[in-house]
Amino acid sequence: MTDKTTSGAGWSRRRVLTTAASGVALAAASGFPMPAVAQARKLTYWGGLIFSEDANNLLVEAINAWGAANGVETEVVMINQNETTQKVSAAVASNTMPDALDVGLDLMLLLARQNQFILLDDVYNKVGDAHGGWYDGPARATDTTSEVGGRVGVPFGVNGNLLLRRRDLLEPAGFTEAPKTWAELAEQAAAVNAPPVYGLGLALSNVGDANVQVNVMQSYGGRIADDEGKKILLDSAETREWLTWLKGAWDKGLFPPGVTTWDGAGDNQAYLSGQAAFIANTGSVGIAARNDDPELFEGSAFSPLPAGPKGTISPITPQSRVITTGSQMQDEAKALVEHLSNPEFMNAYFNVAIYGPVLKNQEQLQAFDGSNSILVGLLGLAQNGTAPAYPDVYNAAYADFSSNFTVPKLAQRVVVDGWDFDRAIAEAVEQGQAIYNKY
Amino acid sequence: MADLNAHAGERQNRAAAMRLNLFAYALVIPVTLLIIGLVGYPFFFAIWVSFTDQVIGNVGKFIGFTNFAYLAGTSTFWAAIQNTVVIVVVTDILKLGIGLGLALLVHQHFPARGIFRSILLLPWAMPAFVAFLTWRVMYQPIGGRINLILTQTGLYPHVVDWLGQRHTAMGSVIVASVWRGFPFWFIPILVQLYSVPEEFYDAARADGANPWQRFRGVTLPGIKQVIIVPTLLSSIWTANAFEHVWLLTQGGPSDATMVFPVLAYFGMQTQRIGEAAAVSVYMLPALGILVIFATALMMRDDEQ
Repeated sequence: MTDKTTSGAGWSRRRVLTTAASGVALAAASGFPMPAVAQARKLTYWGGLIFSEDANNLLVEAINAWGAANGVETEVVMINQNETTQKVSAAVASNTMPDALDVGLDLMLLLARQNQFILLDDVYNKVGDAHGGWYDGPARATDTTSEVGGRVGVPFGVNGNLLLRRRDLLEPAGFTEAPKTWAELAEQAAAVNAPPVYGLGLALSNVGDANVQVNVMQSYGGRIADDEGKKILLDSAETREWLTWLKGAWDKGLFPPGVTTWDGAGDNQAYLSGQAAFIANTGSVGIAARNDDPELFEGSAFSPLPAGPKGTISPITPQSRVITTGSQMQDEAKALVEHLSNPEFMNAYFNVAIYGPVLKNQEQLQAFDGSNSILVGLLGLAQNGTAPAYPDVYNAAYADFSSNFTVPKLAQRVVVDGWDFDRAIAEAVEQGQAIYNKY
Repeated sequence: MADLNAHAGERQNRAAAMRLNLFAYALVIPVTLLIIGLVGYPFFFAIWVSFTDQVIGNVGKFIGFTNFAYLAGTSTFWAAIQNTVVIVVVTDILKLGIGLGLALLVHQHFPARGIFRSILLLPWAMPAFVAFLTWRVMYQPIGGRINLILTQTGLYPHVVDWLGQRHTAMGSVIVASVWRGFPFWFIPILVQLYSVPEEFYDAARADGANPWQRFRGVTLPGIKQVIIVPTLLSSIWTANAFEHVWLLTQGGPSDATMVFPVLAYFGMQTQRIGEAAAVSVYMLPALGILVIFATALMMRDDEQ
């Protein structure tokens, strides 16, 4: 009966096999990327998704409007910045990279070394010349010339940590000025520390926010590694001095409970819920407060990160636009990148995003006229911020070291496990050296 | 003549049988290819990658056991082994105990049994992301429900940082995982309980068996099969689970809850894909043994 059905009623064995084989071929083909030339010419842009929906929409609209005005079909995909690494990894492996994308410094340097991006010195110079030149910090931080023979990225914004404080709590306690040093910060935090409001909302967990402790340590004179990137230098008197400051603040109960396992939003939530008097944050908390809790926003103030005995370490994190080597529309992508630096768009973008300027003329934009305290802080960061990793050398080993949260884990050993400094430092040195030995 | 006809008929039958066999194999080929493509390829590719220095944008080159040696030299790796074993063993024992206990309870006749049964399924029905974030909120030292209950009822007057202290973090992760996972045990055990003939209990009672003896002599043998397979499957899932630890502690504090999947994720964050793959491959031998046992048991069930 079965035989008859398959052979006699339109579904012969041959037809079944042919259909099955076609299905397999189709399924197999769909798993492999089609050559770009075989697809419709469309300029694909991966934008970095940030907290501000207005900023995200603005970027999408600007790119699509540019495409419409120039007869270029565009597609903008906003990528969660926490997932950029994974998505780019998959795209590189499957040869489906977009034409252009926004990247942070780590990924830009890594992929530049893999020749995934074209050189953009011409666009970089043109944009710089047209807008009063580049600020020194982002210019130096994004310079890939020594590694790949030219620049692969055109910076469009910088961010980094600012100190956000509860002015409404601190001023009644007699502190009208922002703390100048980490010691002063602890002093001010102690003065307003009254649980459930805690003084220091600084993450000490396995998240990027906790790496602000690297900056604190460096401002005390501590170093991660030598300039050659060979030897870990954590075992120093300066590291111990930083740990003494940290342990002192911890023992005074200045850190809210939970900081050792906070996720990336831990400090945001602590500040917005009124549990922390100070946090170090990129400004996203300020935007959230301005939108959702204007009273808290009014009672808050931004300032640069405090200094240690050896100065202020306040690293900038530049964001850049890059164009991929495999793009079939490199000229169009270059024109787009150049277009996106225009003052009208950037002014509107800065007003809703959490980036500081990268071009000197941008200081004159309305966004930085002083009316927005977050942007004032970011402008200061762009002008005075330190290079990424400074005084250490920013390289692949340093990035790996940071991603492993070795310094926050050192802090955890001291405050969570109660290890003495020598033991905790010895473990961090061992782990750090193992990381640096890989490079 | 009759012999010739018989032989010819036999040949025709054999040819027809062979054609039928070939046809059957041909029908299986597409599925086999798909399975190889969708399951086999990623599996063996991950193993291959673990022996390379692949980073994003570069396929890398073969470096032997370098990734494995590096991982074995880190204290975090050893913490991950210890923590993974602890979480798997303790979580599964607790899930089994709670699932079995509740199944035995719900198997009894009492009013609103159906509603009770449905409520017990809710943790399993809730998306893991929501479930563990909810637990995270409940564990919060300030404003968290658990601390509020403890302090307001006077059971414990001090605020506890459940997730932030070494001695409470692992227990907190385990409690949340057990809460989310026990229905996976409860359901099959309950179903199996219904299949144990009531006559067996009657006979045991007639022989003077007390409740514990009836449980050991009748209930346990009757549900043994549905305990073993879920144990193995749950062990594999728990060892591979990422979200419970990531959403609650990110492996902290101080590696107190670091497990293999979180360690592999950190490997990805450092953009060293070979190293991240090596973390996963380290788990393969242990998980492979569990998979073989589970598969053998399930196939034995099928045959029975």
